[in-house]
Amino acid sequence: MKRAGIGGLLIVVPLALALLGPLFVPEQTARSAPFMPLGLLGTDFVGRDTWYQVLAGGQTVVLVALLATAFSYLVGVPYGVVAATARLRLVDEVLMRPLDVLLAVPSLLVLILVAAITGQGLVVLIGIVTLVNFPDVARLSRAAALEIAGRPALEAMRMQGESWWQTSIVYTGRSMLRTLAADLGVRLTGALYLVASASFLGVGVPPDAADWAVMVDRNRGGLFLQPWAVVVPALLIISLSIGLNLVFDRALRKVRT
Amino acid sequence: MAGLSLTSYAARRAALGLMQVLAVVTLVFFLVEALPGDAAVALAGDNPDPARIAQIRAAMGLDRPAPERFAQWLVGLPQLDFGESLVSGRPVAQFLSAGIGPTVVLAVLTLVLLVPISVLVGVLAALREGSLLDRALTSVSVALHSIPEFALAVVLIAVFGVQLGWLPPTAVGADVLTEPAVLVLPLVVLLARPICSISRLVRAGMVDALASDYVRHARHLGIGETRVRFAHALPNALSPAVQQVARTTDWLLGGVIVVEAVFVIPGLGTVLVDAVAARDLPVVQGLAVVFAVTTVAVNLVADLVGFRLAPRAEVVA
Repeated sequence: MKRAGIGGLLIVVPLALALLGPLFVPEQTARSAPFMPLGLLGTDFVGRDTWYQVLAGGQTVVLVALLATAFSYLVGVPYGVVAATARLRLVDEVLMRPLDVLLAVPSLLVLILVAAITGQGLVVLIGIVTLVNFPDVARLSRAAALEIAGRPALEAMRMQGESWWQTSIVYTGRSMLRTLAADLGVRLTGALYLVASASFLGVGVPPDAADWAVMVDRNRGGLFLQPWAVVVPALLIISLSIGLNLVFDRALRKVRT
Repeated sequence: MAGLSLTSYAARRAALGLMQVLAVVTLVFFLVEALPGDAAVALAGDNPDPARIAQIRAAMGLDRPAPERFAQWLVGLPQLDFGESLVSGRPVAQFLSAGIGPTVVLAVLTLVLLVPISVLVGVLAALREGSLLDRALTSVSVALHSIPEFALAVVLIAVFGVQLGWLPPTAVGADVLTEPAVLVLPLVVLLARPICSISRLVRAGMVDALASDYVRHARHLGIGETRVRFAHALPNALSPAVQQVARTTDWLLGGVIVVEAVFVIPGLGTVLVDAVAARDLPVVQGLAVVFAVTTVAVNLVADLVGFRLAPRAEVVA
């Protein structure tokens, strides 16, 4: 119980800042010299108020991670189910073998490589994180669907002449939900990790964007003068990541017991 | 998989590894090929005169069809000929040999420290299952799992490098080998994530193994508790962990890129980030090949070790 409290708290603070923060940023913000001790957290590397940057900078990280996770399920689950339920063994092989190749390459490398080729942009970032994450989802759904397809219940349904929709989508889909839900936490923290690391390396977002990870990178030069401009966004990302882990771990334990 | 000998398993697994390397190499080449504009356009730069572009294209052999160039590039790879940098004209192999030292030092030290520490933590937690120590270790490893390295790194730098002044905040101008202090923070950052995941796997495997029939049988036979734990239970508990060590290399390569950027270590990751920023594609290609081959090779070794430790377990790549 105590741990969930900590986890929940760790999520709520960065999430609230990320989603509600942009509403509190004034239209016009004054600029002054870089790394001055003005305002709540001083100024950043180009003299903007760090506190307003913190308020505005969580949105992209959180939304890109959420969208990319959602898309990897949207693509990965049907992909895995089709591979598992295909009549022809060949279809299964053709669908699943290429994923082995994707899984063989370090995910951050795929991200950097594809971004180097396709250029910047949030859509690109979402697309790549989806691409990196969906093979795992597809594998997991395939394994889950295969196990379900062998169940006597499904065989009985098939013999009763239930439609393909009824057996494959309604029954199989519902049975897979638990497995997929158990995996959600890992996917979400993984996506958050990738999005933040990519932004930090300057992949996918413009270099002066209001983004926690970009702030960490850009304000590093002033670490001795204004450590808060680096430490606050970094701590927010860490807090979000730890919070997600703790909350999902607790939810899993609850389901199991 | 029953009855499969180590040799035939190794042969099959090596064939798969070779396929993976070939597929990745092909993918890398044609992804770069898909770019709008080629090296010649990039080199012509401020002077985009069509005649000059055609001239450069002919000089670089870019006017030949893609499959031909691909074949040539492919033949060069085993001889460590990765082509030449667009920006400086130096061979890509020179970039690689310049950056490989610090990266290998970081990666090897991380792995050398990672395995004993995470096995120790996992076994300690498993032997005291349910105790305060076990719960504390499990909570910490759940919480710290998958924290982005750069965020952890800058917080550690701010605390230990800037505020307390105990450790150098970056590796600027320092030789990695002669000043070990510069490596402390990078190693802590690189170890944080894999230690959590591997020690949890070791713990789970050890708890299962200690409760299994063969351990009970070994105890009935009067084999000493230490021997039961470390000669009988531990090898079986390690098999899934070895697989995870291989997955860790994936993280480690990603982590090394980030950690080198944060601590300003002139390794392969820095070379990659610089090459991407300068759109120096032959260098990017070469690095991608090196990273991919390393990952595939490590996965291969890990699968073989896993197979050797627990031959009955189905170890499919």
